[in-house]
Amino acid sequence: MYSCGALRRGWGHCAPSPILFFSLLLSAAPFGLLGEETRQNLLHIRAVGTNSTLHYVWSTLGPPTVVLVATNTPHSVLSINWTRLLSPEPDGGLMILPKDSIQFSSALIFTRLLEFDSATSDAAAKPPGKPYPPYSLAEFSWNNITDSLYPATLSATFQGHPKGDPTGAFANGSLAFRVQAFARSGRPDQPPRLLHTADTCQLEVALVGASPRGNHSLFGIEVATVGQSPDCPMIQEQHSIDDEYAPTVFQLYQLLWGSLPSGFAQWRPVAFSQEKAGRESALSCQAFPLHPTVAHSLPQSPVVQAFFGLQEKYCTFNLTFGASTGPGYWDQHYLSWSMLLGVGLPPVDALSPLILGIMTVALGIPGLMLLGAGLTLILRCKHASEYQSIN
Amino acid sequence: MTCPASSPGGQRLSPGDTGSYFCYDNPAALQTQIQRDMQVNTTKFMLLYAWYSWPNVVLCFLGGFLIDRVFGIRWGTIIFTCFVCIGQVVFALGGIFNAFWLMEVGRFVFGIGGESLAVAQNTYAVSWFKGKELNLVFGLQLSMARIGSTVNMNLMGWLYSKFEASLGSAGPTTLGVTLLIGGVTCILSLISALALAYLDQRAERILHKEQGKTGEVIKLTDIKDFSLPLWLIFIICVCYYVVVFPFIGLGKVFFIQKFGFSSQEASAINSVVYVISAPMSPLFGFMVDKTGKNIIWVLCAVATTLVSHMMLAFTMWNPWIAMCLLGLSYSLLACALWPMVAYLVPEHQLGTAYGFMQSIQNLGLAIISIIAGIILDTRGYLVLEVFFIGCVSLALLSVVLLYLVNHARGGNLNYSTRQREEMKFSHTE
Repeated sequence: MYSCGALRRGWGHCAPSPILFFSLLLSAAPFGLLGEETRQNLLHIRAVGTNSTLHYVWSTLGPPTVVLVATNTPHSVLSINWTRLLSPEPDGGLMILPKDSIQFSSALIFTRLLEFDSATSDAAAKPPGKPYPPYSLAEFSWNNITDSLYPATLSATFQGHPKGDPTGAFANGSLAFRVQAFARSGRPDQPPRLLHTADTCQLEVALVGASPRGNHSLFGIEVATVGQSPDCPMIQEQHSIDDEYAPTVFQLYQLLWGSLPSGFAQWRPVAFSQEKAGRESALSCQAFPLHPTVAHSLPQSPVVQAFFGLQEKYCTFNLTFGASTGPGYWDQHYLSWSMLLGVGLPPVDALSPLILGIMTVALGIPGLMLLGAGLTLILRCKHASEYQSIN
Repeated sequence: MTCPASSPGGQRLSPGDTGSYFCYDNPAALQTQIQRDMQVNTTKFMLLYAWYSWPNVVLCFLGGFLIDRVFGIRWGTIIFTCFVCIGQVVFALGGIFNAFWLMEVGRFVFGIGGESLAVAQNTYAVSWFKGKELNLVFGLQLSMARIGSTVNMNLMGWLYSKFEASLGSAGPTTLGVTLLIGGVTCILSLISALALAYLDQRAERILHKEQGKTGEVIKLTDIKDFSLPLWLIFIICVCYYVVVFPFIGLGKVFFIQKFGFSSQEASAINSVVYVISAPMSPLFGFMVDKTGKNIIWVLCAVATTLVSHMMLAFTMWNPWIAMCLLGLSYSLLACALWPMVAYLVPEHQLGTAYGFMQSIQNLGLAIISIIAGIILDTRGYLVLEVFFIGCVSLALLSVVLLYLVNHARGGNLNYSTRQREEMKFSHTE
């Protein structure tokens, strides 16, 4: 089966496959409706299987948001009513149709960029230092993502800076959200080399060039998710013996929205302070547990309201990067952290063929030799004891 | 030289070796701090161990010659102890001036003194205690040295944090000052060396005792006479020690990251190998002396090390178990492996054989230290452990081959003590 998504505005990319149909739809709100120069970006990634569809709707309308939806039909589509979406009451402006095919839906909203003064902190303190006033990501202005869309790698980058910047902290800097979809399983070349599948999207958050407000500022990000059940979901910390793909990082953090299969977010507790990520630029990443937060204390996301309706309660958690000593943002004014988003079974790392090969040889050969030597000696002893003297 | 048997009574011993062993593992005790303050990756960090080993590839041959022919035991000990002190000071200055290349130079100078100092120490022991409690003295020397290593592992991290608190910040200066304080132990070694020289000279005057000599005759041409079992022993030696020392060098961060230990706990567990080695070396020596069967003991030691590394690599079991096993097998191997050389080689070639064994051991350590650093930076701890498992497996293969070759040739490496006594008796008849 081979087909292409037809699009009124924007651009689409097609991949021929009997199992997976992949389309990238890029929309920008018509100027006439907005009357302002800022473009509102909306990126829709649709992965179609034989009897299901995954929708990822990424937008910087308000704070950067992603809406994840899984449906049980290959024919579900995204429907946008721009007039409604851009109005003060956007309920119903974003819909996945048919509505009754939706098996799972949730959203992640990146609400604030946090900054702490680590010079006043203890290493294990929560929060990691005296906080500076955070940057609200709803007050950022974003680039036109048509310029940063790369069909070959199925990726797009949302790059923004605060609309009002009295101190000029972002004069030469920006906060970028790089979204990448995948046609098949694999791993990126750069650490933390999270294993992805065709059901997942990777998000890389990068802070570049912004001037920190202190000499040893630690940055963090506040993330909110729609509270579906009365309790907030928990972040699970998984320990593994395998640090092949992210050297010296033995943990994997997972946020599961419900019992499997449901949506998940996965990341390794490491961030990097250099573009060429490596061990010497690795920073620890701390995740604080989710707690319920009332809607009015958070920057509002019109996209979430458009899809889910007016929400009273969200679940939020903070991620902070780095410690007061060691590598940090202050080295090169660069910070990057990656996570994986998906629906279904989270990818599980397995030992690589290299390790399995070495272990087989390392244990097999001496083992066989020991066995051979043991058998030879037993046979020799038996042969010697079978000898009977003539007298 | 067999491992010492334990016996009651004690003799005055110099703490000369303690300083050098204390400072040898300073990098391991301060790995996180060094990598952070000097901004180096693991490959460069491991150069601090590699540079210690490089001069000893050559010095293992020259050490005995220098002591016997050039300096004499007294001046030799003093000179080597001076190298140890100067090396440690230069190492510390590299921290204070934030120059990693200077730290490497310091470790090189330290290495020139360190291993040769061990030869000098042994020569003193033989000179004073031959025919009396020599085994006990060797054992106690080793124990003192291992106590120095243990104290280093547990003290240096704490010392660094105290200086960090009082100087107000971490950084190369804090690191350098910490290393300088650690270097005080080397000053103690130097004082001991001077005291020993004075006492030895006095003994020569009063007791008409001759200056000690190493008794080694190093002739490089003897190497062509080495038998296959001896080469197998060399392979076992190299393959075994490269999975112990570089692992301890990198172990602290492993225990912090994988098992979630605190810095103090990680230092403590990293020092367990030495803590166990201090009392167990004499005990195992006694055991191997009584039972013989050296190859079987070597096989046990290598197999136990293999199990220990597999536990550390593939399980999340409490690493204290694996490290205790490693400590026990390390002690056992030392007692069972090194004496086998004496059974294979005539006395006039013994110096060359031991010198060669130490030389390639240092060569192996120098090269593998760097390789371990590279593997860790690019592929992480699991692949590093699998690499170590591969090395131990090679050692295990060599032990099995050694057993088979020895058995096939009717050799005496695996004789029990009774068989050896009988052989000695029948030769004297």
